[in-house]
Amino acid sequence: MLEKMAEEAHPNILIDESTIRPGSNPPVAKKKRNLPGTPDPEAEVIALSPKTLMATNRFLCEICGKGFQRDQNLQLHRRGHNLPWKLKQRTSKEPRKRVYVCPEKACVHHHPSRALGDLTGIKKHFCRKHGEKKWKCEKCSKRYAVQSDWKAHSKTCGTREYKCDCGTVFSRRDSFVTHRAFCDALAEETARVKAVSNMNTSVVGNINCHFMGTPQGNSIPQNFPSIFKPISSSEDTMINPTTRGLSLWIGHGSQGQETMVNNNLQGIHQLGPLCSGETFADPLVSCSNMSPSDYHQNWVFGTKLSSSNAEELTSTSLPLIDVKEAGTQLLSIPSLYETQHQSNQTPSANMSATALLQKAAQIGSTSTDPPFLGSFRFKCNNDSRVQDGNKLCGPYGSNSILSNLGKDAEKTAGDLFQIHPAKRRHAENEDGAGGETRDFLGVGTVQPICHPSSFNGWI
Amino acid sequence: MDTVLFTPKEAPLFNSNQQRNVKEAMEMQSINQPQNSHTSTSISSDSIELPSASGKWAPRLLMECARAISENDSGKIHLLLWRLNELASPYGDCDQKLASYFLQALFCKATDSGQRCYETLTAVAEKRHSFDSARKLILKFQEVSPWMTFGHVASNGAILEALEGETKLHIIDISNTLCTQWPILLEALATRNDETPHLKLTVVDTASTVRSVVMNEVGQRMQKFARLMGVPFEFNVISGLNHLGELTKEGLGVQEDEAIAVNFIGALRKVEVEERGVVIRMFQSLRPRVVTVVEEEADFSSSRDDFVKCFEECLKFYTLYFQMLEESFYPTSNDRLTLERECSRNIVRVLACDDGNGTEGDSERRERGTQWSERLKEAFSPVGFSDDVMDDVKSLLKRYRAGWGLLLPQGDHESGIHLTWKEEPLVWASAWKP
Repeated sequence: MLEKMAEEAHPNILIDESTIRPGSNPPVAKKKRNLPGTPDPEAEVIALSPKTLMATNRFLCEICGKGFQRDQNLQLHRRGHNLPWKLKQRTSKEPRKRVYVCPEKACVHHHPSRALGDLTGIKKHFCRKHGEKKWKCEKCSKRYAVQSDWKAHSKTCGTREYKCDCGTVFSRRDSFVTHRAFCDALAEETARVKAVSNMNTSVVGNINCHFMGTPQGNSIPQNFPSIFKPISSSEDTMINPTTRGLSLWIGHGSQGQETMVNNNLQGIHQLGPLCSGETFADPLVSCSNMSPSDYHQNWVFGTKLSSSNAEELTSTSLPLIDVKEAGTQLLSIPSLYETQHQSNQTPSANMSATALLQKAAQIGSTSTDPPFLGSFRFKCNNDSRVQDGNKLCGPYGSNSILSNLGKDAEKTAGDLFQIHPAKRRHAENEDGAGGETRDFLGVGTVQPICHPSSFNGWI
Repeated sequence: MDTVLFTPKEAPLFNSNQQRNVKEAMEMQSINQPQNSHTSTSISSDSIELPSASGKWAPRLLMECARAISENDSGKIHLLLWRLNELASPYGDCDQKLASYFLQALFCKATDSGQRCYETLTAVAEKRHSFDSARKLILKFQEVSPWMTFGHVASNGAILEALEGETKLHIIDISNTLCTQWPILLEALATRNDETPHLKLTVVDTASTVRSVVMNEVGQRMQKFARLMGVPFEFNVISGLNHLGELTKEGLGVQEDEAIAVNFIGALRKVEVEERGVVIRMFQSLRPRVVTVVEEEADFSSSRDDFVKCFEECLKFYTLYFQMLEESFYPTSNDRLTLERECSRNIVRVLACDDGNGTEGDSERRERGTQWSERLKEAFSPVGFSDDVMDDVKSLLKRYRAGWGLLLPQGDHESGIHLTWKEEPLVWASAWKP
């Protein structure tokens, strides 16, 4: 359905316009800012080739042929030509609102329904996701494709402090990360969260969400600073083979969605859900600290870059996430989640889940990414469970279909997941055999939609 | 004739041996007596300079003593040991510390009690070690000095680049850094653009001190952290090995579809010199995508039959090391003291213990980068570090105090990069591929 890529008849032609109307034709409403990646249905979709997109001088003066990066600059220049009044007017044709698609075929934003409304935005997106990272920070050698991102980073690099939960402050990210990995606070979190948890739902499974925020609000999705909140699961919670996981986020989901866009993870990483809208989010959280909307949103954005197609979401079957009640703290990390086998889901849960998903899909952020599923992760423990882990990995490793995934995941997820070797989650094994695979919508059979490659992340 | 000249300062260590050793020393002296034309007193005035107030007395005295030992000149030995003992202290300045620790090794060498001493030191260290103390020590050291982090950053960079695009990673980690290298790598894996691969980390624990409790704890932390990062992770520890040659493909859990990286940090030097070729070939058989080797730049191997030469190398290396520690740490730091004590064990092991006698897997005979390169070239070919990795290393060094530098390979025959301190190369990092 996507129109062909723009051809350049000759270098000065800017756009080969094609018009596609994704939706119906309502009267032009007052201009409002759409959420990224969900274009105005009546807008005109423009597909530019990579070369055109990156061309720096798109606006040409018809008099002398000089090129400018911005329309305003061109207008200023035209004034200098002392045009007669008539020609001074811009062409009267009211330009239709334009939205742009990403030329990269594999990209989520390649599809007109996920076009971006801003030319500068699509240019930056293209650079960030599909471009070469030419700009490099002096201090930390982090690389950026977009110069403005690099500049923004350079301003704050080294000035930001990282604070661990244990109270120590670091000026260097690498020492912070290393410290965090070994910090006792990681272990303490587990204990504390257990105590503090006030999960209302009878969710028991374990949702391990890892949350990563970015230091800069609109930084590139893939630059994650380290965040963390430890994932924890309480040892004493049993996994109740009831509605749990699904209900968890259904319940939460229905509480409305705030865009996480406004949450900004500032330099200090603290407990609590912080999520910068563009970057991702992930799994759900069943933590008391998290606002429900956060996780539901997080949950939906399985990918690191947080948005996924509604289409993709519904079609993928995901094992449900169980949330341990006592206190898992959830961090949404973009590509993380541990799925816990979910046993029974009530039909009602299913319905709201679907609605939830659809709503969530609309909130999708600008970035595009590998399919949702790709972000699922299983952790294989190194203890005796390894076998199970391998079992689980098996289906994913071989490009098998989701249906396998669902089933096996259910069977083995319980085994797989452990925070401490000593703790055993109840294997929802007894339930796993329950026949039909359930996707997270609880809808029954899974429709394999994702490419096998999306399973890479599983293993 | 003076018999008891010693009151060693570190009493606990010497107590059990003291009597016996003094007796031995006496015997040594009396045996040698007929052959000596001098008495010990005349030796003292003729050939031994009095220690002056100026610095650098320690290297001089130590070298003298080493020579005396190799010449079996017992009178001289005795006197020098006594002198050193008077001046040395593990709590003093650099010279005093060096004097103290090398004195211990010299004494053991002279009295042939190296093995015993080493075992005692090891037992003492084991008692003191715990996860908390080890962790605190290592992290602190990494914070004040790039000694370890240099190798980590270079190796991580090489590993990430070599395994780019792979989905099942298996890193075999043979190191003494308690997995402090891996959090950064886990973070990098988690933030890659494409899907996060599965990482299996197999740690081979060759430290002679009992570390299984510590490794368990480390493993748990790693797992938690990997979960936090969202990286599918599997952690295995292999311990109880006597030496690396005992490892096998099956023992390591290597599977066919995995992309293997082998990471040696300060590990190859623990293999007995004669076995190093065998061990390297064994790892070659695993068909790793990349092998990273980080070693300290010193040569204690080629001179192992020549005590004086080996001693000189040792002294040179550890002088730099101690100076580096002194300038990196806070003056009264306990962590520095602990690190220095660890050195003392290594020094005794190299200088006073016979190879092949001790527990295997704890040789400390270092080799220079060029020497390792020759060995590794038989099984692998060198891979240069990419510009990105070099940039990472450079920005790493910028974060530490002045004095640290980077030395690139000079000629075609050289591979790997060196970390230099005050222009002296101290740590060598390299990457290899099949």
